[in-house]
Amino acid sequence: MKKRIIALLLSTLMVTSLVGCGATEEAPAAAPAATEEAAPAAEAEAEAEEPTSIGSSVEGELTVTIWDEGQRPGLQQIVDEWSAQSGVKATIQVVDWNSYWTLLEAGATGGELPDVFWMHSNVAQMYMENDMLLDLTDRISASDKIDLANYYEGIVNLYQSEGKQYAIPKDIDTIALWYNKTIFDEMGVAYPDETWTWNDFADAAAKLTNDEHWGYAIQPGNNQEGFYNTIYSMGGSVISEDKKTSGFDDPNTIKAMELFTDMIAAGSCPDLATVSETAPNELLCAGKVAMSINGSWMLAGYRDNEYAAANCDVAVLPYTNDPSDRVSIYNGLGWAAAANGKNIDAAWSLIEHLTSKEGQLKQAELGVTMSAYEGTSDAWVNSVDCFDLNGHMKMLDAKLVFRPYSRVTTVWEDMMTEKLKEAWTGEKATADVCADIAAEMNAALAEE
Amino acid sequence: MKTTKMTPRQKNEMLWGWIFIAPTMLGLIVLNIIPIFQTIHQSFYKTGDFGKGNKFVGLANYQKVFGDTEVWQALWNTAKYAIVEVPISIVIALVLAVFLNKKIKGRSAFRTIMFLPMIVAPAAVAMVWKWIYNSNFGLINNVFGTEVNWISNPQIAIYSIAVIGIWGVIGYNMVLFIAGLQEVPRDYYEAASLDGANGFNQFIHITVPLISPTIFFVLVTRVIAAMQVFDVIYMIIDYNNPALKKTESLVYLFYKYSFEQSKKGYGATVVVILLAVIMVLTVIQLIGQKKWVHYE
Amino acid sequence: MKKIKISTIVIYIILIFFAFIMLAPFVWMLLTAFKTTAETMQVDPFVLVPEVWQVENFSKVVKAMDFVKLYINTIAMIALRVLCAILTSTIAGYAFARLEFKGKNFMFALVLLQMMIPVQIFIIPQYVMVSKLHLTNTVWGLVFPGLVSAFGTFLLKQAYMGLPRDLEEAARLDGCNIPQTFLHIMAPLTKSSMVALGIFTAVFAYKDLMWPMIVCPDSKKTTLASALAKMSGQYSQKYPELMMAALISCVPMIIIYIFFQKQFIEGIATSGGKL
Repeated sequence: MKKRIIALLLSTLMVTSLVGCGATEEAPAAAPAATEEAAPAAEAEAEAEEPTSIGSSVEGELTVTIWDEGQRPGLQQIVDEWSAQSGVKATIQVVDWNSYWTLLEAGATGGELPDVFWMHSNVAQMYMENDMLLDLTDRISASDKIDLANYYEGIVNLYQSEGKQYAIPKDIDTIALWYNKTIFDEMGVAYPDETWTWNDFADAAAKLTNDEHWGYAIQPGNNQEGFYNTIYSMGGSVISEDKKTSGFDDPNTIKAMELFTDMIAAGSCPDLATVSETAPNELLCAGKVAMSINGSWMLAGYRDNEYAAANCDVAVLPYTNDPSDRVSIYNGLGWAAAANGKNIDAAWSLIEHLTSKEGQLKQAELGVTMSAYEGTSDAWVNSVDCFDLNGHMKMLDAKLVFRPYSRVTTVWEDMMTEKLKEAWTGEKATADVCADIAAEMNAALAEE
Repeated sequence: MKTTKMTPRQKNEMLWGWIFIAPTMLGLIVLNIIPIFQTIHQSFYKTGDFGKGNKFVGLANYQKVFGDTEVWQALWNTAKYAIVEVPISIVIALVLAVFLNKKIKGRSAFRTIMFLPMIVAPAAVAMVWKWIYNSNFGLINNVFGTEVNWISNPQIAIYSIAVIGIWGVIGYNMVLFIAGLQEVPRDYYEAASLDGANGFNQFIHITVPLISPTIFFVLVTRVIAAMQVFDVIYMIIDYNNPALKKTESLVYLFYKYSFEQSKKGYGATVVVILLAVIMVLTVIQLIGQKKWVHYE
Repeated sequence: MKKIKISTIVIYIILIFFAFIMLAPFVWMLLTAFKTTAETMQVDPFVLVPEVWQVENFSKVVKAMDFVKLYINTIAMIALRVLCAILTSTIAGYAFARLEFKGKNFMFALVLLQMMIPVQIFIIPQYVMVSKLHLTNTVWGLVFPGLVSAFGTFLLKQAYMGLPRDLEEAARLDGCNIPQTFLHIMAPLTKSSMVALGIFTAVFAYKDLMWPMIVCPDSKKTTLASALAKMSGQYSQKYPELMMAALISCVPMIIIYIFFQKQFIEGIATSGGKL
């Protein structure tokens, strides 16, 4: 009899699970099955409803999504100020870089983006063209806090499409020369300063090389932290103004690339295998290399490394013929909102606060990053004691060139990284490699 | 007995069969099968952004794949990985499982140790192994005085990656083999030892056939998983690594095309190719099992 | 007697060798967790053991991450996924192995098909479903892709296929119907495979990174693995803290494994005695 009851129970359990909804209370074990059957029905139901934003469990609460945990505490502080004024709560959620883009893409595909989030040059065009981002143009012109003339031009332009503005610049980065003071002292070489040319840089690298360490380590995969600066400083280019043709066949571009390939060939820069296994910043922190060219976003890493904090410092990048051709390739994030967000007015108000002069000053003061609002970054220099951040700050006065991009930058950048390997290893002459890159890049640009 | 009408017993089996598989199948169809067919569908399109504005291109993506040396190289890389990882990890795990199924001292400690690699966070695994392999500062080169670019020499890197795979998966295989061994009735062994069979003979003639359904399961699932290798390569081989072209797997390519370069259609085509390869391998194993897998 | 001893020694040598290989990277993690950041990058002299054990790394990490909440979320997700996987896979596995019905082969082909596709394919469609169901930032959102298990279905099917047929026949002659036969005779015999499935479901759920990150971006609602990945950040590399966090997050899995392992050993007694 007992057996029969159990069998009966089991069969009811299965039947209820087939029928679906409402099984949860009667038979907890059937709940999972019931949920998943309910899924298609509920999905259809939800489709009819208005889209809601990701994870906003409480009505009127904004979700802000970013990818850098290091910036969260500071930004949350600025956001909290806004909440105190507006009465709307907003929480910052952090998702790591890879998942971030998958999340945004899933959100865009399913029509449910976070309320406020970061935009990046790699994909901005795609999101703008597809009307995923809230058009801020009219709100900006109506605002007394925001005037786009106050922000670095390249970043403003980046988030523009067909005359509309879809994001407001959040920050700016600059590239500078990080160096190990101890190695310079030991080898009797004077610290880098604003008088250095790229040739002085290469000469110093040779002098700083011995069995223990190299003079300079190239970052072959991250062009912004290396050869792009040199290319533009020497008068070359990566992509034409109209983004239709490659600049890699420009003799000046080739000359800049040869500066680096020659250093590898001479041994003052480690070979490709070494830097692909250990990044230049790690080599610098291990005392294995005297100089590394890095972006201002690396600051937190150096600050938190005891060795770097004790031994390293930062100077401006070298120039080519005249201090006026000192170049920093820059990039900057933008604050954007979802076009179909639930609370668009609040989202705009938050963006307005974050990018207002006050918000931008606060961001620099808290040491989050340098700010995109011109002239608000001075406080950032004092956010760290162990380095003289003027190296990065003064690069703001150099010739600022916006990081070369087109509609699908990653396609030709990946190709370039791959092709350049032949130049770094010396398998093929640098000029030939550059010619190959130019040809393939032109083809890729034509396809866009 | 050739009537088309079912006996009550057959009817009963049919009914219960469907009831038993219903929850699983419904879940799979909603969660997985529909997306799979969407992916296959996508492979015939030049995809627009966010699933909008797809353009039908027929077999153009496939034509492109067949002429794409990068795809073929990735397939070959994937195959090399699988050929090394699957058999070695199975043999080692089987031997360990048999030992650890005996009543020996420290069994439970050994079992836990062998299982440890399974539960380390993937990011930590990558970090540890990157350091072990590092040609300048790594453990291997410093301890043994060698000068090998374990993960940046194009000839070697894929095998170094396979070693990480083996290390990480032995615990998986071993747990399954132990489970299989547990379900082997003990009297078989008793009969065998009475017959005077020694350890090795017992292993080959009794253990292996008896747990052949488990071995078959491990083989099929490991081949599938090895063909989908991605995480380790993605985390260990930096994109400026000279060995990248000789280590990137098909899933790596798919990820690059679909998520980094927003070419969803072409990415889907790569997945369909991968699916076709895995299907062929699995069907061969399903047919081949009749030769060596013993079901009761 | 002598012969047995030699073979035992050989067995121990092999076991210790592999135990060493399995443990070595783990030990390094442990050592690194107590180093200073500078020590982790030092080559000359090669630092294996930290000079001063940095015990405060532990408190730093515990302060930075709310481990209690993360443990609760992770364990809740694991428990639900394990329960779902075992429940649905056992019955389905039994049906595929032992019942004859139309459409069975086709359905099983679909099960295999799921396993042949890289998981990255499913993330976006599944996310869209979860967000339409308003399950983001909930445990159910975390559990969602694990409601059913193709892997488990296949595993249990193999387990049932390995069992003797005569047991079932005997039960049938005794008058047991299909659910009774399954529940009372067959299911208990595959306990070890269920335990194995439980272990794997737990491990895979625990290691799953991108799904929890996307579906539960709220740092109070997410799992250990995704919190860990966030901590590793994009640029700053603090190996000791990372390794410490990785170690702390391993602990519940080791406990789960040891717990399940007890089931394994008990399994030997019951099934061995019954047959």
